[in-house]
Amino acid sequence: MNRFHFAKTNRAAIFFAMALLPSSLAYSQSKKDTVAKENKIEEVIVIGYGTQKKEAVTGSVSSLGGTALKEVPSANITDAIQGRLPGVDIGRTSTKPGAVQQIRIRGERSLTGSNDPLIVLDGIPFVGSLGDISPSDIKSLDILKDASATAIYGSRGANGVILITTNRGSKGQKARFTYNGYTGFQTIFSKYPVMDGPKFAKLRADAKMFTNAQDEFNDINTDWQDKYYGVGLMMNHDVGVTGGSEKGNYNFGVAYFQQNGVVPLQSYKRLSIRGSLDQEISKFIKVGFSTNSNFSINDFNGVSGAPMLGYSPLVSPYNADGSPKTVMYSAIDQTALQTRGILENLGDAYADRTNAFSSYNNLYGELKIPGVEGLKYRLNVGLTYRNSNSGSYTGTGILNVNPDTESSAGIGNSLTTQWVLENILSYDRTFGKHKISATALYSAEQTKYNSSYISARDVPIDAFQYFNLGHAQGEVTIDPNNQGYYKRGLMSFMGRALYQYDNRYMLTATVRSDGASVLAKGHQWHTYPAVSVGWNIANENFLKDSKYINLLKLRAGFGQTSNQSVGPYTTFGSLSTVPYNFGDEFVIGNYVNTASNARLGWEFSKTWNYGLDFTLLNRRISGTVEYYITKTEQLLLSKGLPASSGLGSVTENVGASENKGLEISLNGVIFDNPDGFSWEIGGNLYANRNKITSLASGTDRNEGNLWFVGHNINALYDYQYVGLWQHGDPYLSVLEPGGNVGMIKVLYTGGYNADGTPVRAIGPADRQIIDTNPDFMGGFNTRLAYKNIDLSVVGAFQKGGVLISTLYGSSGYLNRLSGRGNNVDVDYWTEENPNVRYPKPGGMMSGDNPKYGSTLGLFDGSYVKIRTITLGYNFNRNTLENLGVNSLRLYVTVQNPFVFGSPYYRESGMDPEPNSRGNENQAVNSYKSNQLVIGTNNPSTRNYMMGLNLTF
Amino acid sequence: MDEQPRGIYTPEDFTTERGITQGVTALYRQMRMLYGNGYFLNSTMTGTDEATWGKDADGNFKVLDMSNNGNIDSSTFPTSMVWGSVFPAINSANGVIQNGPLINVPESLISEARFFRSFYYFLLVQTYGGAPLDLGAGELAFNISPTTTSVRNTVSEVYTKAIFPDLIKAIDNLPASPRVTGGVTKNVARLYLSKAYLTYAWWLQNPNSIPTYPETSRTDPDGHNAQWYFQKAYDIALDGINNPGPYALQPTYYNLNVGSNDRNKECMLYADHTETSAYYNEGVIQASYGDGWSPNNFAAWMMTWNYPNIRSSTSSTSWSAVSSVQRAAAQDLGRPWTRMAPTIEVIKNTFADKTNDSRYDGTFVTTYRGNWDKAGMTQTTLYNANNLPVHPGDAILTFLNDDSVSPTYSTNAGNSNIGAGTLPGRADWVIAPNGISRVVYPGIWKIGTYRTDNGSGLGYPNPSLTRPFVAAKFSEFYFLAAEAAVKGASASVSARDLINVIRARAGKWVWSVSGNVAKVQDNSAAMIAATPNTITVDYILAERSREYYGEGYRWYDLVRTQKWEEYAATYKIAGTAYGDHNPQTVTRNIQKFHYLRPIPQGQLDAMEVSADIKAKYQNPGYN
Repeated sequence: MNRFHFAKTNRAAIFFAMALLPSSLAYSQSKKDTVAKENKIEEVIVIGYGTQKKEAVTGSVSSLGGTALKEVPSANITDAIQGRLPGVDIGRTSTKPGAVQQIRIRGERSLTGSNDPLIVLDGIPFVGSLGDISPSDIKSLDILKDASATAIYGSRGANGVILITTNRGSKGQKARFTYNGYTGFQTIFSKYPVMDGPKFAKLRADAKMFTNAQDEFNDINTDWQDKYYGVGLMMNHDVGVTGGSEKGNYNFGVAYFQQNGVVPLQSYKRLSIRGSLDQEISKFIKVGFSTNSNFSINDFNGVSGAPMLGYSPLVSPYNADGSPKTVMYSAIDQTALQTRGILENLGDAYADRTNAFSSYNNLYGELKIPGVEGLKYRLNVGLTYRNSNSGSYTGTGILNVNPDTESSAGIGNSLTTQWVLENILSYDRTFGKHKISATALYSAEQTKYNSSYISARDVPIDAFQYFNLGHAQGEVTIDPNNQGYYKRGLMSFMGRALYQYDNRYMLTATVRSDGASVLAKGHQWHTYPAVSVGWNIANENFLKDSKYINLLKLRAGFGQTSNQSVGPYTTFGSLSTVPYNFGDEFVIGNYVNTASNARLGWEFSKTWNYGLDFTLLNRRISGTVEYYITKTEQLLLSKGLPASSGLGSVTENVGASENKGLEISLNGVIFDNPDGFSWEIGGNLYANRNKITSLASGTDRNEGNLWFVGHNINALYDYQYVGLWQHGDPYLSVLEPGGNVGMIKVLYTGGYNADGTPVRAIGPADRQIIDTNPDFMGGFNTRLAYKNIDLSVVGAFQKGGVLISTLYGSSGYLNRLSGRGNNVDVDYWTEENPNVRYPKPGGMMSGDNPKYGSTLGLFDGSYVKIRTITLGYNFNRNTLENLGVNSLRLYVTVQNPFVFGSPYYRESGMDPEPNSRGNENQAVNSYKSNQLVIGTNNPSTRNYMMGLNLTF
Repeated sequence: MDEQPRGIYTPEDFTTERGITQGVTALYRQMRMLYGNGYFLNSTMTGTDEATWGKDADGNFKVLDMSNNGNIDSSTFPTSMVWGSVFPAINSANGVIQNGPLINVPESLISEARFFRSFYYFLLVQTYGGAPLDLGAGELAFNISPTTTSVRNTVSEVYTKAIFPDLIKAIDNLPASPRVTGGVTKNVARLYLSKAYLTYAWWLQNPNSIPTYPETSRTDPDGHNAQWYFQKAYDIALDGINNPGPYALQPTYYNLNVGSNDRNKECMLYADHTETSAYYNEGVIQASYGDGWSPNNFAAWMMTWNYPNIRSSTSSTSWSAVSSVQRAAAQDLGRPWTRMAPTIEVIKNTFADKTNDSRYDGTFVTTYRGNWDKAGMTQTTLYNANNLPVHPGDAILTFLNDDSVSPTYSTNAGNSNIGAGTLPGRADWVIAPNGISRVVYPGIWKIGTYRTDNGSGLGYPNPSLTRPFVAAKFSEFYFLAAEAAVKGASASVSARDLINVIRARAGKWVWSVSGNVAKVQDNSAAMIAATPNTITVDYILAERSREYYGEGYRWYDLVRTQKWEEYAATYKIAGTAYGDHNPQTVTRNIQKFHYLRPIPQGQLDAMEVSADIKAKYQNPGYN
């Protein structure tokens, strides 16, 4: 970022932002700047560039304390917040060790731009992976959901903001030592539902397409999953020391997490070191830093059980002499077998490791401007360094049908560096009943990324693995498509004013101006306002003394946010680089793939948010109800183009969408007796209605990109399954020329001739738009305590929506019903068994699958799931004090124990939550990446853990 | 706020000479998306008189057979492949042709792009009828803007505005000898111009009233008639023969097709591949699997049946079955997918002469030989048909040349495990031409796997092939000229003499694939003697099938000559079960609108136009 472009409007914005700074307000610090109702427990909420009492917040903010996070022992916070916060949907994208899940706040706005929320770690935008933050480090987590709350983060906050505050010591605090740890094991939630030997043999006979190859015998019944999945182990240890002196405080800690997957060889290990320090240097100056560094090792992330699921159960895992079989012939396939035994015995001949080191560092200096009470200047500097180094090696003939196969190795590196510079002027004052807090910000940031990958063949000895590719005697490849580089910059000006009158009326106003390097020249800057108001009714005279109503607050806000989350250089268009050989001459060619776009500009969202917060009955009941509408315009998206354009795609501002939603959360304390029985219960329910409202092309549908006005961004466009063709059903030969009884019957939408016959065959015109979003989702938690024992349960549920299982559809190649490879265990049509869901094997096909096979992959997404049950015991303080221990808690937890009410679970026995992105873990990746699906990833697990929290 | 791409090329790169050279390279590489892709080969063979679906065929094959296994429609994948892969190349060619002169790139290089622009338009117009000349930036202009509308030009516009002018200019400016191995030359351009003239002449003439689309009166915008174009086709083909440049016929058909002689002088245009670099091959070379997808060459798998299911016995007294012909990276074996099969008529009629004509032997695998020794099995002798001993390299299964003797077939899979028959005293399993089925049939040899790294083992049968897949051969000049002559071109060399050049060469033997033994024989005289006095279009089509069987010419030949319905109406083959040797006659339903393939649904779906305009964009008959 080396040039500033100030359009006129932006100058105005800067002026506005500067004007918010009160430079000549009189000084009058008042004692009334304290809490009105002394008996209230003040909850402080981080709102971005500051904190606010929860009571005073006017935007939509959901918070979760560290205690609640610790109730769910987990590798990263995505697992911990699942189902705990309304409007926050954690989509599972992978079940591999160390995998981080996808977070969606109030649904998807952008069609193909990023929908990921902004993570802010200790005040600095965080470019790393959530997996780099140890959950036990977290003091609190605040999620900003509406435009008024996120406005100060500008474009980066368009998809919501997650503010993570890590533990810090407090001033004057005695040094305190904490230990949090747990250990446990994982078992697979269920096997993938594939056929056993006899069923598969019958399928093959019924399909009449493939015959047993030399290794297949109908009396063999091998369960390959038994030979593959195992028990995973996980453990976490976290040690910390916090303390404070008269003028400062500190917090240092070390954490170690390890998880061995249920898939052979896979593991994830992470060591993190963190530290923070705040120190007052003088009355006016305070400095501090926080640093969070970690090192992780991810082993054999590339090992996948997917091929194993298709292994024929008619093949014995052993040769006649009892040795493990390494190559099998089945139907027309020749396969190098992968079993746990084979994989675990490879030793040096097989390696796949990713080491990542990341360091997130924030430094700040704060200057109280002398002479102007309440005016502060703060400089934040964020420095991030993230390096990942991966290597893989496969020895000669390993996992290959040909024992002479050359060994191969690859090594990759990537480096991300980021700096953020924030200049913040803030002013906090109270004048009588007026409380003012103003913030002005100028910030700049730059992210740079570079990656490289090299592969080589014929490494002479296994011990070299990937450590010295220079020894490779075969081909060395540096594929230009596997190297990466980008640099992107963002510059921002922001002003915010918070005003409160008598703790009753609150106003927040923000204006922000952002400039992004990734957009087209002349379209890089955008300025937008946000404003919200609150009315704390409970503080009005008529309710002030009410015992029943402790808090009653109405909030309303409107704001604009914007999004620029497109990849760098998309405005230029790009060429695809392809290799070719002219005989023995090796050459590189280029052709145009993506179109340029010199008008690529910002995507905007306008959000209206209305909220009601209440705390009733002597704080026994509290809750929030919110309603919002977000209208997004100029959607940024990558659009697939017709082949006739000669181009593949373009990134454009195309179309508008709308999200409307209702969020309800309710928490109650039913019994509250610290010395006896207490029972708390909480729940949340949220519904988001998402639809595309217009497309810039002026059309109401773009079938190629699956965009339909009036429907979900994630809508599908496919035939509609209505059953199977049965004997006697009319017009089979007209509607399905060449079709067979027992094939899938889909909805016909065409007309009929006078004699009742359909006018045409079923074809693309019969495809239907299928909305996939759920009706509503939510979570619940309850905690029962009796004296020192407590039991808590956390659950989540979803009603409706479409669950896509690629195992049952056609993209997984596991429901081909042809008998070539193993098949999901489905009840298929036969003459004797016609009234079933799945078609006749070997019937009409489209490609390798039954015709319309994709319709078999859609299920009702409803479920109720118990995520965790934890039983804990807190030792008596008195007992502990003798030992010098402050607190000690022991607990046992089971995760993912039960599922109810899920049609998919009933069909398959599987966890009904997705485990993959739409373009992963299928034989033919068939869905958009942001559509989550069930694929052949690691299976879901049930986890059993016991843990210990100790402080002294 | 300024961006500087450092890791990717942008379209601006097409304004440098190096960028333009790389653009031209991509035009060659784009051939890999079609040539060598088994589904494309399928779209040019299945449903013609050359092939039908095999036992393990998926829907992509069954639908194309047009024998009541579903209709070809806009969602049918194989028929969408040309449309789906040529436009990026056409656009890149536009960029090269438009920008090249501005920066003084030699016309000889620009003409390579002219060749490929016409090559890809020629594919489009033969497959779908009229095609858009304007991709979004004007006719034949380089497009980098995201257009979501499209208008199809008529067939005559595509020929006269794009294909002919480009090729004429390319003939003038291309070098006589290629710039790079496999590079295009004057003569490659001549071959395609001759073929394009011939095809267009047939289209103008339209003897069987096949509809065209978008509708147009069949008058030539340049004011010529069909006869003029037949004559031009002839003249240019003869030019090609008389000015061969570096090209020449191979001495024998075997030499032409044997893997060790790839990229020989007869091969004028091919999608190249390499065994020495997985990266430049764009496909794994040593893995357990090849992708079975573009840009790989995996066409040969489709017509390779599951021969490893053949069994012999380790015991001479009881039947103790082992696999005696194992999967190996050899031209007669390779990876079996059993998705396409030759019909009985192909074996019996097209290749009726199997003794003089070397092309049956040089096209099919008719003898499967024992290779168990290479799989590490230690037996030196196995027992096969009639419990007679066989040794490594011996015939284990033989497809007989005729039906003069009747093998004794098992009614099911039998000891051979593939339902093969026996003849008294013979140790090999046998199948007669009438017993060919969808599951056991002569495999394809000419485009089969060829590797140099097998060592003493079975090699890598499963990755994609490392051979080039040939798109054009020098021999075709003779066929083009002969066809033009038959259609009335005034001929200095007669059609019969032209065809006899090909037939004489077909009579020359140097090696017997079926016998796996040297066989030096010259049956040219017998071949010429058997040539009829009058050459007809039918005779040329039969001869073309003998010459180019399995190379992806057939559907285009039958569509050009408007003979598809006539040639492919029925065929015979036995069923899908091992042991089934009863030929069934299958009837196909080929209608006149099928001569144009449907515009792919993906094109229609991505166009942002009204449903009405979309409907009109599609070829009639497919709505």
